[in-house]
Amino acid sequence: MALPSRILRPFHLPSHLRTIPTCARLYHSYDHPPAPPYAPAEQAILSAAITHIPEHGFTQTSLSRGAQDAGYLPVSTNLFPSGVFDLVLFYLVQRRLGLGDAIATEGLDRVWEERKVGVGGRVRGLVLDRLRMNARFGVVGRWQEALAIMAQPSYIPASTTELWRLSDEIWFLAGDTSVDTSWYTKRASLSAIYAAAEVFQTQDSSAEFRDTERFLDERLGDLRKVGGTVGAVGEWVGYTASSAVNVLRSKGVRI
Amino acid sequence: MQSRPTIWLFGRCHVPRSGLVNIRRRTFATTLQRNAATPELFDVVCVGGGPAGLSLLAGLRASPATSGLKVALIEWQDLAKNQTHSPSPTVYSNRCSSLTPASVAYLKAIGVWNHIDHTRVQPYDGMQVWDGITDSRISFDWAETASSIIPQQSTPSSSTIAYMIENINLTSALQKHLHTLGGTTIISPARVEGITFGEETPNLDLSSWPVVSLNNGQTLAARLLVGADGANSPVRTFAGIESRGWDYGRMGVVATLQLEGPGRAGPDHKIAYQRFLPSGPVAMLPLPGNMASLVWSTLPERAMKLKSMATEHICAMVNAAFRLSAVDLTYLHTMDGGQKDEVEWREQHTRFKEEELPMKVIAVQEGSVAPFPLKMRHADTYITERVALVGDAAHTIHPLAGQGLNQGQADVASLLRTITAAVETGQDIGSQLALEQYNSERYSANNALLGVCDKLHKLYSFDSGPIVPLRSWGLQAVNSMGALKGFLMKRAAGGA
Repeated sequence: MALPSRILRPFHLPSHLRTIPTCARLYHSYDHPPAPPYAPAEQAILSAAITHIPEHGFTQTSLSRGAQDAGYLPVSTNLFPSGVFDLVLFYLVQRRLGLGDAIATEGLDRVWEERKVGVGGRVRGLVLDRLRMNARFGVVGRWQEALAIMAQPSYIPASTTELWRLSDEIWFLAGDTSVDTSWYTKRASLSAIYAAAEVFQTQDSSAEFRDTERFLDERLGDLRKVGGTVGAVGEWVGYTASSAVNVLRSKGVRI
Repeated sequence: MQSRPTIWLFGRCHVPRSGLVNIRRRTFATTLQRNAATPELFDVVCVGGGPAGLSLLAGLRASPATSGLKVALIEWQDLAKNQTHSPSPTVYSNRCSSLTPASVAYLKAIGVWNHIDHTRVQPYDGMQVWDGITDSRISFDWAETASSIIPQQSTPSSSTIAYMIENINLTSALQKHLHTLGGTTIISPARVEGITFGEETPNLDLSSWPVVSLNNGQTLAARLLVGADGANSPVRTFAGIESRGWDYGRMGVVATLQLEGPGRAGPDHKIAYQRFLPSGPVAMLPLPGNMASLVWSTLPERAMKLKSMATEHICAMVNAAFRLSAVDLTYLHTMDGGQKDEVEWREQHTRFKEEELPMKVIAVQEGSVAPFPLKMRHADTYITERVALVGDAAHTIHPLAGQGLNQGQADVASLLRTITAAVETGQDIGSQLALEQYNSERYSANNALLGVCDKLHKLYSFDSGPIVPLRSWGLQAVNSMGALKGFLMKRAAGGA
């Protein structure tokens, strides 16, 4: 099954990299929404397959059932050379895009404005929204399977890229406008926190994932503390360096 | 040039104060026309009439080499008002400072010490410092230290750690001394409107001279412009010198306290107390009689709460700050009232040695509780061409070691030496070359002291973790080593 699919493939790219269409822009435009990342047939099959995840998990079975539901032959799952990983990635991409849609439909930005929620509070809200989506689509019980698939060496780059994009999306939607090195550190630390919270969620049996919420709050609290400490240390190092130079200058050294 | 200051002196000494203002105003009116075109030229213009500025001018007038310089002082508060204070022996200003013997030696050298109201100065020769978490303690006492190392050197003059003095006592003494010396153009109250470089005319090139314009229309050109104008120094801004540092996120609360007695060791042997709490150090410094001065650095919301409390509760809180645990204090700050009873009850159940603690506070002087923000700042340099910074304009320090005013006096002493040397060798006193000596003498010394106080603050802001036992061990080790302690005390007395 794998060999013919390779011959028939229109591009020489693995399918999970094709999730960005060839015309993808490398910048964000507020005026022109990005093109949908999946072709209509792929979109139909994968969307249908997601409804089977609670029952069949992230498996080939879910994919085949999805193809059948969408009116294709079960064998048409060879559209997806990475197989089940394409399903995982599709899920992640759809939920990521769903965050922006949720803000638009629920008018979250207006609520934020009214209640004067800061960037930190917005990030927290968005991460919780994203975690609740896992529950809404019934994938929490099956998420460990997805993690196992994502952890396969050939899929790790695509998985981490998607995690980074989610983190970037959250900071962007929260209205973060930093243009310094904290742009990177913010995204990196949120990626780590999100990944940890998601793993915690798979083990969480509390009502409405209260424990996950608490876990998230504590991690975000840690981040703030570390951020404050790093800021203070940076300030201190800067001051000490400049005062060392000033002392030398006061002693007549020409620096 | 020489005659004008003499007329000034004459007017100042013999005309009643109300008349003085009129004369001054008339003088300005007549000179205004001329000043609009060319500013009046001075050798030294000092902006800021605080302890540092006044002490510099007194020093310049007192030194034979520099007494020929034409000097001016600009202060936006009315200095005449400061002089008229007639204090009562039970009322003290909340703005007190601890003068080290080094600063006192300088003040004696320039002749100011005689003008000080000595009944309102309190020397102290003991100091007790302890950790608010572990209670490990270090006591500085010249009597003990000296006798344990070199018994024969325990002379009374060397036994003083520092002198507590009201800032107003010092500034009015400095003003009195300035008046007796004469020759200083004092422009007060007047606000600095702007500082620019002068203009070049066919007769006079002032393009490298700073020209200070005041809100009364006067303009003064300075060969050397001295910034003694505090932390937000306009002179520093004019000179383009950056000041770096940080805010501590703490407020210092000062107050004048009345104690139940003159102190544990009687009126002749006064002791200063300081306890390092995690929120900041709290210090009680002796004043004459039963009075004492409080400096409590704490969190801003706690400072505001303290200020808003009833007097009896403030007394209770200050007593608690020296006796109860940090946890108790945190709880007391959350209460909406009734601290007095709560502290009384808690004191019965807390173990402390009363004889090692300051005497109990029985009253707080009305209106003396005042908070101020704590910060650390250090200018990049103290000098540029025709500009020198002294005191708070150059550096702002955490008050835990009580060194701010002493640093300013040491700056002034050094700047005075530098100017004297420049005059004696015929240099331009405003040139950077002549001023470099001052920057080189003071910058690293101030930097070290700022660093030590900053690190002490950081060290004692921990309330748990491995730092706490380590710092206690360090403190006890120093306490048991008489020689090291003596060395530290000498450094502290020398003004470091």
